[in-house]
Amino acid sequence: MSFDPHIITDHLDDIGNGFLVTLGTWSSGVVLGLLLGLVIALAQVFGNNFVRAPLRVFIEIIRSTPFLVQLFLLYYGGPSFGLEMDPIPAGILGLAVYGSVYFAEIFRGGFESIPRGQLEAADCLGIGRLRCIVRIQLPQMAVIILPALVNLVTVLCKETAVLSIITIPELTMVLTGIGSQTFAFVETLLALCIGYLILVEACSRLGMLLETRVGRFMQRQPQ
Amino acid sequence: MFDWPLLQQNFPLLLGALLTTVEVSAASLFIGFFIGIGVAAMRLSPTPLLRRLGGAYIFVFRGIPLLVQLLFIYYFLPRAGLPNMSPMTAAIISLALCCAAYIAEILRGGFLAIPGGQLEAAGLLGLNARQMLVRIRVPQAVRLTLPGLINEMILLIKASSLVSVVGLADLTRTAQNLAASDYMFVQDYLLLAGFYCLINIPLAYAGSRLEKRLKGRGA
Amino acid sequence: MNNTQATLALASAANESTAPESRKAMIQLQGVGKHFGQLRVLKGIDLTIHHSEVVCLIGPSGSGKSTLLRSMAFLEEYDEGQINIEGQLLGWQNAEASGVARKRAPQAKINQVRQNVGMVFQQFNLWPHMTALGNVTEALQQVRKQSKAQARERALAMLDKVGLAHKADAYPIQLSGGQQQRVAIARALAMEPHIMLFDEPTSALDPELVGEVLQVMKTLAKEGMTMVVVTHEMGFAAQVADSVIFLDKGEVVARGTPQQIFHDAEHPRLQQFLQNYLDRNAFWQDGKDAAAAKP
Repeated sequence: MSFDPHIITDHLDDIGNGFLVTLGTWSSGVVLGLLLGLVIALAQVFGNNFVRAPLRVFIEIIRSTPFLVQLFLLYYGGPSFGLEMDPIPAGILGLAVYGSVYFAEIFRGGFESIPRGQLEAADCLGIGRLRCIVRIQLPQMAVIILPALVNLVTVLCKETAVLSIITIPELTMVLTGIGSQTFAFVETLLALCIGYLILVEACSRLGMLLETRVGRFMQRQPQ
Repeated sequence: MFDWPLLQQNFPLLLGALLTTVEVSAASLFIGFFIGIGVAAMRLSPTPLLRRLGGAYIFVFRGIPLLVQLLFIYYFLPRAGLPNMSPMTAAIISLALCCAAYIAEILRGGFLAIPGGQLEAAGLLGLNARQMLVRIRVPQAVRLTLPGLINEMILLIKASSLVSVVGLADLTRTAQNLAASDYMFVQDYLLLAGFYCLINIPLAYAGSRLEKRLKGRGA
Repeated sequence: MNNTQATLALASAANESTAPESRKAMIQLQGVGKHFGQLRVLKGIDLTIHHSEVVCLIGPSGSGKSTLLRSMAFLEEYDEGQINIEGQLLGWQNAEASGVARKRAPQAKINQVRQNVGMVFQQFNLWPHMTALGNVTEALQQVRKQSKAQARERALAMLDKVGLAHKADAYPIQLSGGQQQRVAIARALAMEPHIMLFDEPTSALDPELVGEVLQVMKTLAKEGMTMVVVTHEMGFAAQVADSVIFLDKGEVVARGTPQQIFHDAEHPRLQQFLQNYLDRNAFWQDGKDAAAAKP
């Protein structure tokens, strides 16, 4: 079995594009997912029962079904609902919806971890609901939920590999494609593994950096 | 939009595939559990080399997407000298190795939660490290982390949908085949989703009930 | 003297320390010391515990008495001096040589040296996923390689000895603190130890449950078991101990018979310690002035 690193260098352009697609879908999915997740979390915490019940059903379904199945429904089943999408937008939307449910759970946990007493004090002092959320709850939550957020973002990075199945030309699809063409399975699969390990490690390093940064900011507040 | 006769026709086919999915998931969890105990023990070992090896295992198998791991084992290993393996074998090996990393972390938390005094007493009574692991640490770690392990089972069942990629006739692959022939994508994939919900929602419910009970009892 | 003080003195007088039958040295400590970083926890401890002797270690918290006891089971690595169990060096490969760091003996050797030492802990340390019977039979089956039937027979006998044969199938969570501690004692006794170490066995118990555990310990002492007990129960020490050792700040400050320690206390730190104890525990005083209670 021969090992030929030139396979990689020869196709650097394609691999680079695949990498960019991975990064693009990942970041778009995360941003959209964060927003959706925040909306869901707020709806759960502050919404009325008409909103909460169907939301609960939606969340359970998303959490119980595989990401791949959700992608299939969106991409192949979408047209039946009039939702005709290209692979990449479908992938981003799928990733966002999948992630939003878990983001929402993290946000909700964060909200509930702020002691009730602080909110009561704010209420007594006449501080309005919205102001309370923005000035008191969110800043404190940020430090507490950051590790969970970083972890979820890392998970979503790995899930982008699944996007290859609905023909999105991200890293996995590109490299396995090269592998089948040139029969250089060793080099391509190895490169794929290393690629993801780098992404995941970078993500967690960044996360730790953010945690110390935000934490430092929090420490200046009086206890 | 819904074709009832077709639904009735597809239902038993997917039911059969459900069996395959559950089989693969259960086998992988079982094997992965024992590998996970080993890795967790390595992570908690007094020997630095073992600790680093355990850490490396977890880094690799949690860092690389499962899909990539699956492709690696199915496409690469046979060409590296290992005999050609069936999709089922490749699937179980891959899933087991991957979930072992997550189980190792779950169990590690359980191991650390056992009061040290119990192990002191055991050591003093003459039990060796292996006996302590098997008779005292693992039973208690499992009891302490059962909700986490059930959650891992749910994740595994969902992850098993990827074995469709190597052609194994699990739920997802079967649904794909059906949809490819009858073009009723929404119906077939909704049915597929329904089957996953059928297994996972009761499991999730059991897990959260167990968690509440453990919290109340103080283990 | 107030009532409590008088009771202690009477008790120690009643427990006339007859010299132990056999003067065989079970545990020997020579120049034992230990430090945690800068803090010296034990200094120059010289001690011999003889066969069938009951030794109580008393002293304020932080005095090092638990560390000393745990060192006798090598649950704490002592840094200086040596500890011999029935003549064998415990824990280290060789006796101390100046300038040379000692090597820890292999685990098998450590286990062999301390196989006749049993220990009872403050926190009981029962294994919660096994029944009382299971806790007692575990080591018998795993270490002594006894058959299930043999182990069960011995375990039931031990549980009966501590008065808990009827609770053999109960789980620790179903037992009171006193019952759990008695199971722990049975567990240690099942291995037929020559020496029993007790690390504040009743400190974690509700007051009403202390008595049942002390009763078991008294029975053991009467039967001639060699015991080293770290305790705050002065009454127990006064009644049962052959010698009492007072530790303070890691050193042996005073040692002697209960009579000598409790009744004839001379050393100022010992007197202060006993006075603190009496202040806490005396509940009926002649006269309102606390000074009247001073010895």
